[in-house]
Amino acid sequence: MAIAGTTGPRRSRDAATRRSASTWAIVGAPLVWVIVFFVIPVIMIAVYSVGGISGLSPNDIEHWTVTPWKDFITSSTYMGGINPLGSGLFWKSVKMSLTVSVTALILAYPVAYLLAMLAGRRKYVLLLVIIVPFLTSYLLRILAWRVILNPQGVVNTFLQDTLGVTNEPIQGLWNSNFAIYVVLSYVWVPFVALPIFVTLEGIDEHLLEASSDLGASRWRTFWTVTFPLSIPGVIAGFIFVFIPTIGEFVTPQLVGGPSGFMFGSAIQSAFTAGLDWQFGSAMAMFLVFTVAILLAIFGRWLNVRSVAA
Amino acid sequence: MNMAASKSGRGLLWTSFWLLVVFLYAPILVLGVFSFNDRDIVSFPWQGFTTRWYEGLFDNQQILDALRTSAWIALVASIITTVLAIPAAIALQRRRFRGKAVASGFMLAPLVVPLVVLGTAMLLLFNYIGIPFGPITLIIAHVIIALPFAILTLTPRLERIPVAIEEASRDLGAGALTTFRAITLPLLAPAVVSAFLIVYVISFDEIVLASFLAGTTTTFPLYVFSQLRLPRQLPQIPAVAVIVLAVSTMLVVSAEVLRARSDRLLGEGQLRVDEDDTATVVGAPLGAGGSM
Repeated sequence: MAIAGTTGPRRSRDAATRRSASTWAIVGAPLVWVIVFFVIPVIMIAVYSVGGISGLSPNDIEHWTVTPWKDFITSSTYMGGINPLGSGLFWKSVKMSLTVSVTALILAYPVAYLLAMLAGRRKYVLLLVIIVPFLTSYLLRILAWRVILNPQGVVNTFLQDTLGVTNEPIQGLWNSNFAIYVVLSYVWVPFVALPIFVTLEGIDEHLLEASSDLGASRWRTFWTVTFPLSIPGVIAGFIFVFIPTIGEFVTPQLVGGPSGFMFGSAIQSAFTAGLDWQFGSAMAMFLVFTVAILLAIFGRWLNVRSVAA
Repeated sequence: MNMAASKSGRGLLWTSFWLLVVFLYAPILVLGVFSFNDRDIVSFPWQGFTTRWYEGLFDNQQILDALRTSAWIALVASIITTVLAIPAAIALQRRRFRGKAVASGFMLAPLVVPLVVLGTAMLLLFNYIGIPFGPITLIIAHVIIALPFAILTLTPRLERIPVAIEEASRDLGAGALTTFRAITLPLLAPAVVSAFLIVYVISFDEIVLASFLAGTTTTFPLYVFSQLRLPRQLPQIPAVAVIVLAVSTMLVVSAEVLRARSDRLLGEGQLRVDEDDTATVVGAPLGAGGSM
């Protein structure tokens, strides 16, 4: 650490020892909290799912076993094999996460581009306008969509009673995949806009000028210079939507009706309704591995700072 | 020539911006308007303006209890989170130590673990060690998910506080605690307030962990959730929703504005140490750098 050169070697070693002791004193409390209430519990699910812990729910297997994993991986309901086009709940959740994150990216990119490149000094205020809804109540924004889309909701009653163009509610507007995709994209767009904005804002505008001086059109400059440079932001946005969405069960249950039973719902009901906790733990661990693989692939483009800019 | 977009391209981009704003705010606006509709179900036709759903709120003991429960759980959770996040952010931003990568990984990881996994993991832990489900388990869980957000709110501010000021304080004989109390904390204060407010909103709004760990406690999100599962909710729900959305928006916006304003001061102002030995930034008139 760069300390002023006047201190002798002995003093600086003392200082270093003192600092290192005090570093553990300050980082100790938060670290212990996180280890006890986050790291250990995640290890516990892993151990529990292979029978290393038992006696927590009535149906526990009380010795080391791979049965919960085998049951889960081979089941057509939950996994449906390793075929992404299969029918398993896991793949249904993957499809939902992909649809939602790609939709959110497409909606957010042009706006992030505008704010970062063209909005001048107003950009932070306008960014705040986009982000504020994300930071307000999640459940209440779902409620807002329910008020709009449900069969007795604003859209349907407007079409029926006010305009009289139909006699019955539009099918598929509510309790459908459509509703799940719309509401989740709505929820995540602001969050995706942030990392894209941050990477675009960091691009040196001289690069764009150079591209122009060398004869490239704006369109070509965008595709060969700007867009490639913004890919870290796009990936960060994708990951930060995909990961929470793949475990979602609250929103699909509230807006998806019968089609709203997801992989996350399966985990939740294994614990709350089914009392098959080891099976649920295997599924939860499977999600952890999925996330770990994604992070291993895309981690080097991720800057967690960009979500809190 | 502007290389980012042509004139018509700019027009298209601004259109996409305003469309997104409509997409984001229209549902909230609709909710707001229809919370004043004099009708038992929240829909057309418009049957006249009423404030009775708002008045009815104060007679609905369930809603009031749920709001009160969430309010104090969020308060305790944000105090604990902020107290833990300040030293964590200082250690991660200012210090080099062995195991730093692992420590920062652990503290930020809850950001990338699906909530359903955190919920089940903590359900197992609390079952195993025998802590009964209720406000305590909720607070512990909320601190875990809010800690990364608090740390990431504090870090950029810490980066902008020159280390030289702290070193000067140490050179003049102040101990580590005195330097922290008199120099670092006052300069960090705006970000601390901002982190506190954001954590408060996160905890107040949290539903997934609550659905695993709340026991018989009914937080406000759990109450709304139970209402949303019914085919028709009470007309008071949109009314309380409007109030909660308005308050949380105000909290979040003030947190952001406060932070942006004080960051600008830190960039342009001078440091003044008052007679009570605390540091403040003075000198740059407000508004000198434009509106924000």
